[in-house]
Amino acid sequence: MSAEDSKDRIKGAPRKRWVNRKMHDGREPFFPNFLLKEWIAGAMFLTAFMIWVINNHVHLGSIANPSDSTYIPMPDWYFYFLYQFLKYFPGPDLAWGTVAVPIISILLLMFVPWLDRGKSRRPIHRPIAATAMVLFVFMSIWLTAEAYQQHQYEVSGSAGGGTKSAAGGLPFAVSHPTSTALLNTSMPGYTVFQNTCSGCHGTDLKGGFGPELLGIGNEATSSQLLPVVKKGFNPNMPPAGGLTSSVQIQQVVDWLATQTQK
Amino acid sequence: MIKRTYDWIDERLNITPLWRDIADHDVPAHVNPAVKMSSFVYCFGGLTFLIIVTQILSGMFLAMYYVPDIHNAYYSVQYISNQVLLGQVVRGMHFWGASLAIIMMFLHMLRVFFTGAYRAPRELNWIIGVLIFVVVLAFGFTGYLLPWDQQAYWATDVGANIAASVPIIGPYIKLLLTGGSTLGALTLTRFFAIHVFFLPAALLVLLGLHFIMIRKAGIAGPM
Repeated sequence: MSAEDSKDRIKGAPRKRWVNRKMHDGREPFFPNFLLKEWIAGAMFLTAFMIWVINNHVHLGSIANPSDSTYIPMPDWYFYFLYQFLKYFPGPDLAWGTVAVPIISILLLMFVPWLDRGKSRRPIHRPIAATAMVLFVFMSIWLTAEAYQQHQYEVSGSAGGGTKSAAGGLPFAVSHPTSTALLNTSMPGYTVFQNTCSGCHGTDLKGGFGPELLGIGNEATSSQLLPVVKKGFNPNMPPAGGLTSSVQIQQVVDWLATQTQK
Repeated sequence: MIKRTYDWIDERLNITPLWRDIADHDVPAHVNPAVKMSSFVYCFGGLTFLIIVTQILSGMFLAMYYVPDIHNAYYSVQYISNQVLLGQVVRGMHFWGASLAIIMMFLHMLRVFFTGAYRAPRELNWIIGVLIFVVVLAFGFTGYLLPWDQQAYWATDVGANIAASVPIIGPYIKLLLTGGSTLGALTLTRFFAIHVFFLPAALLVLLGLHFIMIRKAGIAGPM
């Protein structure tokens, strides 16, 4: 094609001799013809992407706490397959999972052009390569789904563990205060809390199925707490924690904001 | 005036052949979705590049506010999300764009694989592509720590421990990654430097090679 191209080029001029072209075989110049059409696809792609981005805010959990080893960790979703894969190589076999299999896989992938050397490029004519790749794709999807399900199960099964938080963590960091005495127990919010919220957060605010709330007043004001409590945490905490009266919600939030244990 | 400026530059740098090569080469019919709709699978590579460009741009803007130190990293991300004009959107682009880049790159790889486009003379470009895949996954791993929230910290901790479990050299890999026995201040600055300096440099070089090789060998013909 390049030899033909140079024949078409007008000597000393940037443009080509368009007249000599077969214009109806579907070929077209990259610029501007093809790129302008390609840009339509790109623009649609970007628009869909931006709609997604605007409607899906990125969550920021609570600040990293190196002393809280109860947190159930999970990598980003595109590492799930690897993370799940390693679970099948416990103890002394781990090296197979961390070194041998990944290195062999990467090398196999890299040297595919030398392993698959037939004439035809159609997948149907190179069944081994095609089947291997289809299997790899299905394995990756299956491992990813499996990792996700097991993580959901672990998180939902972690009741009773202080700051173990639901997937995504809390909007406020709670820094395990050394003083644990409840403050302002004469406020009306205290009674509402003990009747409704203490089932999960503990009568002593030390947490249970829900996270610890001691010292929450150091982290947030009542106006910051209000939307969080109203929204709840799907699926573990219903909106407003099950409270139905907005007066009671406000009372609880006002009381929590005074819990400034150090 | 514009023409004279262009000619002046062209006389000295001879830039016309460079961009003419890019502009005038033919795009064959079998990869053109405007000719046959099912050719959209040939767009995946270009869309991956497009999303990488938006990653670079959104990353540059995030770097204006992000502070790579353990006391301020979390709060700077919080500030970006809640205070900075359009901060939530730019952070969202960078966060979701990372996933999208990986999805598009995977689809692109599947397209190349199932059309057998890695056959001679394009083997080298396939290898470059696999290296790009590895670099992009490294972007994901290092970028995940930077918000310095619980999820980031403990996920990276698991990653570092997996690296440490490699026989013999494992502990050294972990030390190289984390800069100490536990994840801390050095880990964050290391991951930040890798994420914004080392990896982009590697990625740009590899992408450059990838595109030059596509121009040299052309797009693989119809199957």
